[in-house]
Amino acid sequence: MNRFERIAVTAFAVTALCASGFTIAQAQDAPQGDAANGKRIYLADGCFTCHGRSGQGGAYNGPAPILAHTALPFDGFKGELRDPANDMPAYSDAVLSDKDIADIYAFVELLPGPRSSKDISILNN
Amino acid sequence: MTDVLNSLGIEYLAINCASSYRGLHEAVINHGGNKPEIITCVHEDIAVHLAQGYAKIEGKPIAMACHGVVGLQHATMAMYNAWCDRVPVLVMGGNIMEADKRGPGAEWAHSAVDIGEIVREFTKWDDQPASLQHFAESAVRAYKIATTPPMGPVFLALDAELQENPIPDPEGLRIPKLAPVIPPQGDSGAIAEAARMLVEAQNPVIICDRLARTPAGMANLVDLAETLQCGVIDNVGRMNFPSRHPLNQSFRRGLIGHADVILAIEMNDLWGTVNAFSDRIVRRSRPATKSGAKIITLGVRDLYLKSNYQDFGRFQDVDLDIAGDGEASLPPLTEAVKRLIDGGRKAAFDARGKKLAAAHLAMVEQSKTDATIGWDSSPITTARMCAEVYAQIKDEDWSVVGTTIRLSWPHRLWDFKRPYQWNGVSGGGGVSYNLPASLGAALANKKHSRFTVAFGGDGDFMFNPGTLWTAAHHKIPMLYIVQNNRAYHQEYMYLVAMAARHGRGVDKMDIGTTLKDPNIDYATVARGMGVYGEGPITDPKDLAPALARAIAVVKTGETAVVDVVTDPR
Repeated sequence: MNRFERIAVTAFAVTALCASGFTIAQAQDAPQGDAANGKRIYLADGCFTCHGRSGQGGAYNGPAPILAHTALPFDGFKGELRDPANDMPAYSDAVLSDKDIADIYAFVELLPGPRSSKDISILNN
Repeated sequence: MTDVLNSLGIEYLAINCASSYRGLHEAVINHGGNKPEIITCVHEDIAVHLAQGYAKIEGKPIAMACHGVVGLQHATMAMYNAWCDRVPVLVMGGNIMEADKRGPGAEWAHSAVDIGEIVREFTKWDDQPASLQHFAESAVRAYKIATTPPMGPVFLALDAELQENPIPDPEGLRIPKLAPVIPPQGDSGAIAEAARMLVEAQNPVIICDRLARTPAGMANLVDLAETLQCGVIDNVGRMNFPSRHPLNQSFRRGLIGHADVILAIEMNDLWGTVNAFSDRIVRRSRPATKSGAKIITLGVRDLYLKSNYQDFGRFQDVDLDIAGDGEASLPPLTEAVKRLIDGGRKAAFDARGKKLAAAHLAMVEQSKTDATIGWDSSPITTARMCAEVYAQIKDEDWSVVGTTIRLSWPHRLWDFKRPYQWNGVSGGGGVSYNLPASLGAALANKKHSRFTVAFGGDGDFMFNPGTLWTAAHHKIPMLYIVQNNRAYHQEYMYLVAMAARHGRGVDKMDIGTTLKDPNIDYATVARGMGVYGEGPITDPKDLAPALARAIAVVKTGETAVVDVVTDPR
């Protein structure tokens, strides 16, 4: 599968997962990560620069995906770090170990996802 | 010279005073009675950007005057932004043409044989008049050229002798009559062919950028889109299309990949819009359009290009290239489309429109949902910042005239529907645009009693904080929100990407990219310039009260700055 095909597949997967309300269970074989260390790396290594400190997403050359309460399975998450499909830089093992990635994954899994906008009056102007 | 400027209806002359145009300066004050009204700026970059922002709201240029050579050199980047943004600005620079008239010292350093040379590659036209009659004719010509689409800045050199010496034959001088050029419509045959292609298409899409140049532009585009019931993707170079119109699909760019006919109107970067490009070690690209999709272009941008600076972008294959002003050509195009629509097509178009409207609504709801993430976080999310501002200005006659890099929340969440509610971005991407250009737009809005609001980055702010002194001195009301992420954040991200690409540590990329240690207190800077300052606001709960206080100040006719410490994007 070439890079552009992977973009499409990933986009479809993310869309489908989003449509299900972020309630899909995470992959059972995701390694146990240390969320506290994941937060440290997320902030120190610049993940927040594109994806936001709350994992709310942002923009680099184009939109940077929401990571809060991610619905991506661990393997997909790791794949996007090791060999990204878009302008996101690839993070080799020399920069981020598998353990680091597992820790980051544990952190973003715990970040609160979206809530109902109807609960926030100023979003309904 | 003053009479000529006034004959053109130029309302303001933005300046940083200088000896090389002291003759004109004095004449404007005493002969003209300060008309055009002088706007005192503390840097030439501010003066030109102020003129750029003004023109995009008011629809006509003001003038700017600067010192010979060195003042013009200060003005150049702003002139480049205006050039890339296709905005008319009349720039004038002093000069002493005759060598034997130059005094020793600075007058030599501030004179040039061909002073317009340094800006010629990013101005539409320039001249160095050698007589007052020559000046009159060249000024009218310059104004006409600047305001004829594709618009752009022009430059006139002001010889000191002409400004300062007695006029030998005042009765013999004449100011030419200005007859504005009527922008050209596209060829009628080509318009008919475009209409046929659009009507026969299954999924036509309109994309646009610097389209609307008068209040009629948006209405004309709405008429065409509603006639076709097709999606519109707006690159927001101007206030082209209402943000909450059901056919606005600007945040559904995937639509381009489903289009069989694309109508691209007054595009700045067509190739970049219809292709996907990867900023990787191997820079690859591919069409974002589907195979066989037809592209129609309509616009005048390519009718005036220059060679050196590459703002024209990559060459894009198209199928029908119509030379004609986008706004002027829309009515005949829409009429041609209407003539081709029969009952069966209308039903199909209506069905298409309903699907797009549903998708638009879903997009808006998704944006609201996305905005909730990190709602109570500190630093404050940009979504919350924009939502809080809108909550307090939505019932005003507001006009947003500045934004930070990639801050899309206003267009995702706010109801833009009036022609003056947005005026685009810098054009050339030259940092320092936002604060002074926003003030220029606020100056234009002032006489219409509109509420001007702008977002600007902290990095941009620091290039020209002196703009706020001009705001205070001339009592120009504006609510200016500093999106303070304490970094040149786009560069911060690029540096992280470089470190990852090189397989080296990514944890030191704040070196040279951040504005911290010490943190800059923008509210204090603002107060030092004579305007109201709030902040730094770090707790989202404090934002609404701070905005309320600042808005109350703006309503008294002054500028207020609110420093909001935000998450990066």
